[in-house]
Order: sequence, then structure tokens, then C-alpha cells
Amino acid sequence: MPTLTIDGQQVTVPPGTTIIQAADQLGITIPRYCYHPGLSIAGNCRICLVEVEKAPKLQIACYTPVADGMVVHTGSDKTLKARQEVLEFLLANHPLDCPVCDQAGECELQNYYMDHGRYEARFLEQKVKKSKKATPIGPTVMLDQERCILCSRCVRFTDEISKTSELGIFHRGDHAELDVVPGRALDNAYAGNVVDICPVGALTDRDFRFKARVWYLSSSPSVCPGCSRGCNIEIHYVLDRPYLADGARVMRLKPRYNPAVNQWWMCDEGRYGYKAIDRARLVQPMGRTQGLSPQGTVPSADSVSHPLVWDLAMTEAAQHLQEAQTRNQLGQWGVLPSPQMTNEELFLARQLFQERLGVACDGRVAERPATGDNFLMTADKSPNRRGMAAIFSETTDQKGTVPQGDSPLLAERAAAGELKGLIVFDHDLVALYGEAVARTVAQRVFLIYVGSHDTATSRLAHLVLPSAVYAEKDGTFTNVDGRVQRIVKAFEPLSGARGGLEIVADLARRLGAAFPHTTAAEVFRAIGASVPAFQGLTYETLGAHGAPLATAEAVTV
Amino acid sequence: MSPAAVDWASLDPPAAEILARYDQRKAAMLPLLHLVQGRVGCIPPEGEQWVSDKTGVAPSHVHEVVTFYTMYRAKAIGRCHIQVCTNLPCVLRGAESVLACLTERLGIDVGQTTPDGTFTLSSVECLCACEIAPMAQVNDRYVGPLDRAAVDRLLEDPTLAPLTPSLSPQGRGREGEGILSRRFSQAGGAWYDAYVADGGYEAAKQALTTMTPQQVIDEVMRANLRGLGGAGFPTGKKWSFIPKSSPKPVYLVVNADEGEPGTFKDRYLLERDPHAVLEGMLIAAYAIGSHKAYIYIRGEYVEAYQRFCRAVEEARARGWVGRGVQGRWEWDVTVHRGAGAYICGEETALLTSLEGGKGFPRLKPPFPAISGLFASPTIVNNVETLASVPPIIRRGAAWFAGLGTPKQGGMRLFSLCGHVERPGIYEASAGVTLRSLIERAGGVRAGRPLKAVVPGGISAKILTAQEIDVAMDFDSLAAAGTMAGSGGVIVMDDTTCMVKALATAAKFFAHESCGQCSPCREGTGWAYKILSRILRGDGRPGDLDTLLSVAGNMEGKTICVFADAAAWPIQSYIRKFREEFEHHVREGHCDLLSSPVSLSPACPH
Repeated sequence: MPTLTIDGQQVTVPPGTTIIQAADQLGITIPRYCYHPGLSIAGNCRICLVEVEKAPKLQIACYTPVADGMVVHTGSDKTLKARQEVLEFLLANHPLDCPVCDQAGECELQNYYMDHGRYEARFLEQKVKKSKKATPIGPTVMLDQERCILCSRCVRFTDEISKTSELGIFHRGDHAELDVVPGRALDNAYAGNVVDICPVGALTDRDFRFKARVWYLSSSPSVCPGCSRGCNIEIHYVLDRPYLADGARVMRLKPRYNPAVNQWWMCDEGRYGYKAIDRARLVQPMGRTQGLSPQGTVPSADSVSHPLVWDLAMTEAAQHLQEAQTRNQLGQWGVLPSPQMTNEELFLARQLFQERLGVACDGRVAERPATGDNFLMTADKSPNRRGMAAIFSETTDQKGTVPQGDSPLLAERAAAGELKGLIVFDHDLVALYGEAVARTVAQRVFLIYVGSHDTATSRLAHLVLPSAVYAEKDGTFTNVDGRVQRIVKAFEPLSGARGGLEIVADLARRLGAAFPHTTAAEVFRAIGASVPAFQGLTYETLGAHGAPLATAEAVTV
Repeated sequence: MSPAAVDWASLDPPAAEILARYDQRKAAMLPLLHLVQGRVGCIPPEGEQWVSDKTGVAPSHVHEVVTFYTMYRAKAIGRCHIQVCTNLPCVLRGAESVLACLTERLGIDVGQTTPDGTFTLSSVECLCACEIAPMAQVNDRYVGPLDRAAVDRLLEDPTLAPLTPSLSPQGRGREGEGILSRRFSQAGGAWYDAYVADGGYEAAKQALTTMTPQQVIDEVMRANLRGLGGAGFPTGKKWSFIPKSSPKPVYLVVNADEGEPGTFKDRYLLERDPHAVLEGMLIAAYAIGSHKAYIYIRGEYVEAYQRFCRAVEEARARGWVGRGVQGRWEWDVTVHRGAGAYICGEETALLTSLEGGKGFPRLKPPFPAISGLFASPTIVNNVETLASVPPIIRRGAAWFAGLGTPKQGGMRLFSLCGHVERPGIYEASAGVTLRSLIERAGGVRAGRPLKAVVPGGISAKILTAQEIDVAMDFDSLAAAGTMAGSGGVIVMDDTTCMVKALATAAKFFAHESCGQCSPCREGTGWAYKILSRILRGDGRPGDLDTLLSVAGNMEGKTICVFADAAAWPIQSYIRKFREEFEHHVREGHCDLLSSPVSLSPACPH
């Protein structure tokens, strides 16, 4: 393997590694516009020219392979001068409209100018006039041709990644223009990625633009809950400027690099799914009776629903379960856990309901038909079905049953009047089974709904416990390939909602079965200790990119 | 014909014929677009879609190609398209007054069509017919030299050919001398029988039946044949780079995309001695182990294309193309047309273009010999280089080497244009001096004093009148700080304003930059804008330093050497004629130009 020296530091890399990759490994960032590790090499922007000893000319770091004994200078006078010159060329016909440009703050023209430019402007000529300024080229992307530096990243993305080829660079020389081919729109399922990879303000996000200056944004790593792929994301949010977006906290999602899952990309469906975080949320517990309801009875689904304080709501839930326990009727209760829940929430629910109370938990629910593709999107629009299967398939030492195979679904049994109580996490029974079935369930069983959003089911439930969404909690999801990945709490649950772990732990405490572990990290350690598929996994070993289940291949969904 | 009225199905048979000529569908892009434009008069969106369907190339990339090349147009134009060359050799001989005369007579500006739909007037960059400057392309025909009377005749009946045909014998060297131009004077071109009567195809026979491929390569190497497209790389050495055992096919690609302003020699070879080129191709194909050759002829060379196609068919009928050539070799030739882009003369841009893309030069390495056309081993050779091969085989490497200098064997076709008495092709030893070449062309016109000479096409650094005793071989000119390039010699007399000459050159480079690399894309346009501002009389102190700095900053920083070629004229003109440039900046004009001038607009493409 060749060993080379970059700025005095030695590094040994596999043959075929380019200078820019080797420098990245050393933490030396060589400026780049056209280079993107996920795309083919174009070599056109020339900002990454570096001095290589014994080479007669400066070499582009993005294309030049390393060689044993190579000596590279990324900060030499010659390198810095070339960088400044390339910037001057790139900015010659640029409109310099930074004050009204939404890219300001994350624009590599701005950033590199401040780092490497700082020359006296001397371009006195008329700038090239281009045809499209602030023109939508698709449902999600806005184009400004004058700001475009023609690096061709977006064209290569649509050719190589989305394989849709909507974009091209038309004409030539300094009249070359990026555009969609006439008669088409940039409307592929991954279009938003071109905004991420555009190093300048040429392609901006129609949804995000002018919503917030990027320097107001906070960022938190997470995992997209939109499907079972589990694309790694960053949540960009603002908490202290409620006037920016009607009080919404999340401004946008950005894909976060994970070589094992989504590389640099995410789909638009996931990208714009963030809106649900601040919309149609349940923000206080609700009940059908004033104060405590008569135990063992089912209030009419048509009775008026009232807000409850959390303590009262939890007391009611606990008392219903206690009553059932006393009457030895827990066998007529059921729990519908959800693949929207984290592994930690699912595990705690299993421990409480299945192991301690002996309540049947049924992970089998019909899912609304959806489609995936052969890239990132999967047909399973929930983030943790694999985790749910792993956690609920492993329970051997428990009182409750795990309904499996062809046995009647719990929801069907509830509708048939075979149950007395049903705790539903997240699922919308109306959407899954239809209005009539859901209403029948609500008439025949005591229905507790634990979920984050106002749905037809939450409106039918006798007791509603509002829970946090993924951005508001710590935990892990297990993706379609069995990779366990962390989500990190970006901010507190909306006032009135509580984390799922907190709700289950609170219920356990009220039932006299408090858990020794309550934080997500503690619960995850407990999972690792008792669920074979998770053996050996901790938050530390998961790291930023997650890790596969110990039995990733064995667990099927 | 309106696009709606096009019967696309009727294009299927010719399209199938075209597609059959190419190893990959996408390579049929340019000829299919030519087919559509020939039938429809333009390339409407439906035509792009049709080509996309035929080639399997995404519509976006078809549209890229249509907008990249100057010859394709989205809208129909007049029945008679007059394209006036406004590059330096034509400007030196009065192109601007021709254009002024045409705009006045037609009552339209450049880029417009007469209301009756008869004439469309365009200004274009060098058409490589500088020996008949000032000239124009009228539909497919080259016409020139143009003056007021010629314009009158042209406008009276554009369908006739009242003007000097491009096959004018003027300007060639003396009868009988030389090895490359000896058949140029034969009426109607050297067709098969005439070529064979002159010993044609004997070299191919000799090579195929008595020599191994390696012996051919060795012979060419010993002959000191250098690449005559402009780079001067030893041809035999280049051939030896082909991997000996490649699982992929080996391609021979002929660079007939002549475009260097001031150069027109390949056109003469293609039109007047096509079999010499073809025989050289056959020998080269045998030497490098290629069974498929493509010849990429610049799109504007319609006559050369037609003549070369005819030569290929003649050769095919006589068993020199196809299976079992001399019982030893099988090969085929596809004659390909470009579509208007100087950059496609750069060998990797040519390959990208041949594969159906925009003419974007490629990152190197890999070099074409390892991974060229269709990612296969490929040798790209210039027309004149290949035409030099048969004489080497017939008469021996030592004889050929002896014709030139110790490091550059053989003869060269020099294109002389600009202010010489008799512009034309002059064949001479590679070691001829610039002075003697100018003298052979009759000296500077009307006995005027010489001011400057560009020795190797517009990209070459300029020489002053004091520097013309230099030999014209690659090494001597490199030592003199310029280059032999394509052998295009542009002569300027004392009436030439160097600011205008440089601005005209800069216009060309701004127009022809492919736009891929930032320094070239932005630098060529910037330099042209500064120069045209100076020419308008709006020069500012510091402009010359900015120009030199812009030139220096793009030089050596890009994928191909186009940016360097754009920088060299700027650097050399200003260095050698600085006082004249400063005077222009200071005074807003010069004694050579009566008033501030604006250059004719480059094609807005």
C-alpha cells in the first residue's frame, strides 16, 4: 500500500486512493466543488488543485491517485494562489447576490472566498446574462442559473443515483446553463438531494427557502422514520424563533452519511415528512369520564372526551389494568405494539405487558399497502418492524402469549367482543380495519391509545395518552437489514406529550412493578442482556452509523 | 416542414443504416441529428426525442448535444444560409466589409432571416478555408474570395456556384514536388484509378504481405514521423502504446476535425487525395491490430465528407476495405461527421463527441491507447500524419527521415494565409524556414512590410518580422518560444492592428471553450470582453496587466490544453507589441483603425 506525505503528515492508503481521499483521512480538507464522494469524478471545477512534488503542474486532488513516496502540499503558496485564481474565475460571472440568497451561510463560494479568496475585485465587464433566476424546475427545487458554477454534481446525481436524467448543462463556454430538459420537471423521488449537493445557491429547496437563515439552525442526528430503510438524517430545528415558521420547530431534514444504509442520500418523501412533527399533535391526555371512570366498564364511544391531567390519566390506565388483574381478566386484554416505537419502548412494553402482566402483545397488524423502489424506499413505511419482530419473537420466559401464525388477530378478537381491554400504540385502527370495525372495538373494549398524533382512533379511544415523536426521544430503530441505529432527542416533547418510555415506566410503577432501568441507554443495555439478537450491542458500539443485530441474518420479518 | 408534418417512420430506414455503422448506438447521435435536421430543417423537440429513442441516450443529453454544437439549430432558417467567417485570416482579408455589405444588401443583421425566408445571415468562426479568404459557407458550399461583386452575384442566384469553388487550384506548391500534395492538382481529385496509377496501395500491399505489424511500427518510428495535427508526438511511439493483448477491440480514429484557424491542409488531403489517407489508415490499422476505423471529419466539410465516402466505397469495391484485404487483414471504416465545435479536434474531446456526447475533453490518464473509444485501446491520428505513412513504407524510413530534420522526418503541408500574395498549401521539408515559406507564397501582399506571423495556427505564440528565420519543425519553433502546431501560417502586414487581431483571436477562444473547466470557461470570455472594450475605446489603465494575469491564471490549470492555447496569443501579442496595446488603451484607438470598432458578434450559440 502506498505511503505518501500530505502537508508533512504521512498516511498509508490502499492503491487507487486519490489525494483528496487520503487528505480527508488525515482531516486535511482540500476545497471541492465538483468532487463528491458519491458521484463519478468530473474534475472540472479545479478548486482542488494542489502542489505535488516532482509534478510539473498542479494536480487536481480529486482525480490524481496517490503514489508511494508522493509529497503533497495543500497549503503552499502555489496551491493557495491557484485556489484564489479559480475562485476569481468562478465569481467573475456570479451575481454576488448573497444578501438575498438562501444559500448564504452554507455556500461554498462564500466559505472558500473567506478562506482562500479575499482578492481585490477586478472584473469590470458585463456579466453573462442567463435565462432562469428563481425558477421552479420541479415540485421541490428552485433553480438560479446565474449562481450556478456548472460543477455538474446535480447532473451526475440524476444520471448516476436517481437514474432519471432530467438535468443537463446546455450550450457551451460561458453561456453554458444548467437546466431541466425542456418539457420535463425535476420530479423524481430523490430530487431534493440535488439541493444538498449543490455547493452554491443555484439549487435551493422550495420548501425551506427563506424560512430561516441557516445560522439560526440547530442540528441533531437521527434516523428517518418514514420507512424501514432507516436513512440517517440530521434534524435542523429552531426553538427560539417561533415567528419563523408559524411556531414549527423543525425547519428541514438533511441526509446524514451512512455508508451501510443511505450513503449521502434520502428520498423526498422522508425529507418532507418532518412536517408531521409539529402538526396535528396530541398535546394532552384525554378521557371519556370526569375523574376516575367506573372500573371494568366501557364508556360510550359517543360520550364527550375531556382533557385530563397526566396523573389522573395514568391513574385511570393503571386502575383498569389492576381491576382486570384482580378479576383475573388480563387474558382478555391485549396490546398492539407498533413498529413506529423504538426498540427500547417495545422492550419495556414487552416486559410490562407480556412478561409481568401476561397480556398478549400482537405485533401483527395489517399495513396499508405501499410501494418501495430498488434504491432506498421500502414498502414498509415503519422504521422498526425488524426490531419489533426481534424483541417479540424472543420471549420464551413469560406469562403472556405471543399470538403468531394464523391465530386470530387481537384486533379481530377485540371486534368480536372476546376482549375487555386493548392498548393501542400508534396504530390507526380506522385506517387499518375501517371505521365500522374500529367503532365496534371501541364499543366493546376499553380502548387506550398511546400515540403522538390526532387520528380517527385517538378520537374513538376512551383514554388517550399523547406520546413523543422520534425527534423528541432517545432510542434505537432496527432497519430492514437488521441494522440497529440510534435516534437522538433533538428537543423536548411538545408540552403535554410524554416519551413512550416514560409512559410505560410510569404505568409499571403504578402497578407496583417499577423497572430498574428507565433511560433509553439503560433500557438498551437491558435489551442487550436479555434479547439474543441484541447481544453485545450498546450505544457506544452503535456509534453514529449503527450496528447489525447479532442475528441479523436469522431474523426474518 | 413543420415538425407536426414530419413522418418520423420514414426516417427509420436511413436511421437503421446509420446505426449499423457504429459499434454502439449512442455513437450514432451526431449523424442521426444531421439526418433529422436535413429532413426537417431544424431539430425540434420531437426530433430530440426521436434521436433519444434511437440511441438510448436520455433526452437531456440529446438536448445537451444539440445546444453544444453550432451546426444544430432548434428553429428553421432561410433557404440560403450565408455563414461568413469572421476569424482572423478572413478578417485580415476583409471579412468585415463582406459582412457589412451583406447586412446592407439583405437589410438584416447577423443572426436574422430576410422576411421572405430566403436568406439567413450568420457570422461564424474559422471554416478552415483561409486560402480563399474572405470566405463564407453558403448552405453546404464554401465560397470565396468574396468582394462586393461576388456578394452581388451570390445574392442574385445563391443556387448557382458563381464563385470560386473550394477546389480552386490556387496556392498549391509547384507541380510534381512533394509527397503529400503531388496529386492535388489532378482534376476532380485523385480517385482510385489515378491513385493506383501513381503507385497507390502498393505500400499497403507491401506492409500487409511482407511485414509484421511490429515491423511497420518500427519503420514508422525510424522515419521520425511526428503527429501533424499539432502536438508533434512521435507516431510510431504512439502506436507502440497499444497493449499487445487486449481483450477489447482496438480502434483507429482519424482526427479529421480540422479547425485550427489558419489551417486547411487536411481538407486538401480529404478532398483531393482521399485514397492516400485511406491507405495510411489501412497500414496503421494493421500495425496496431485494429479492425475498425472511424474518421471524424469536421461537420462543415461537407465536400470532404462526400469525397471521402466515395473513396471508401471505391476501396471497398476493390478489396481494400472489408474482409480479406490482401488475404491478410479485415477492417472496416466508418466516416463520421462532426457538428461544429473546434474543441473536438482535441483527441479525447473527439472521442467523447464520437461516442455521442458534448465535445468534452477527458481527464488523463488513461490515455486513449489504453482506454479510448468505447473504453477500448484507441489510436487517434491526424489526416496528414496518416497520409505520410504510405510513402514511408514504399520508400523506406531512412529516405523519409532524410527529408526533414534529425528529429522530424518527412515533409509537411503548410497552410499560408493572411497577408501573403498567394495564400494556399505549400509542401516543404519540416525544416524549411518561415521566411522561405512566406517567399514561396509570393511574399507579403503588395510588397508591404511584414509585421508579424503566427506560425502554427491561431493558438501559436506570435513572431515578429525579425523572428522569421526560424525553421518550421516542432523543436526549432518550440525553442523559439512558439510552436509548429498545425502548420497554419497567418501572416500580418504593417496595416494590422494587433489589438484587433488579438481580440479576434480571443473571440474565437471564448466561442469555442467547451465550458467544462472553470478557468477556461470564465477566463476566455473575460479576456475577450476586456479586449473588445479596449477596441471600443474604453480601455482602462491596468487592463493589460489584468489580461496577462487572466491568461496566466488559466494556463496549465485545466483538463486539456485549450486554455493554454487561449493564453498564448494574449501573452505573446502583448509582450511583443505592448506599446501598441498601451497606445490603444490610452488613446482609445490607433492609427491603423480609423475609429473605435466593435467586432462582429460571435455566433450567439
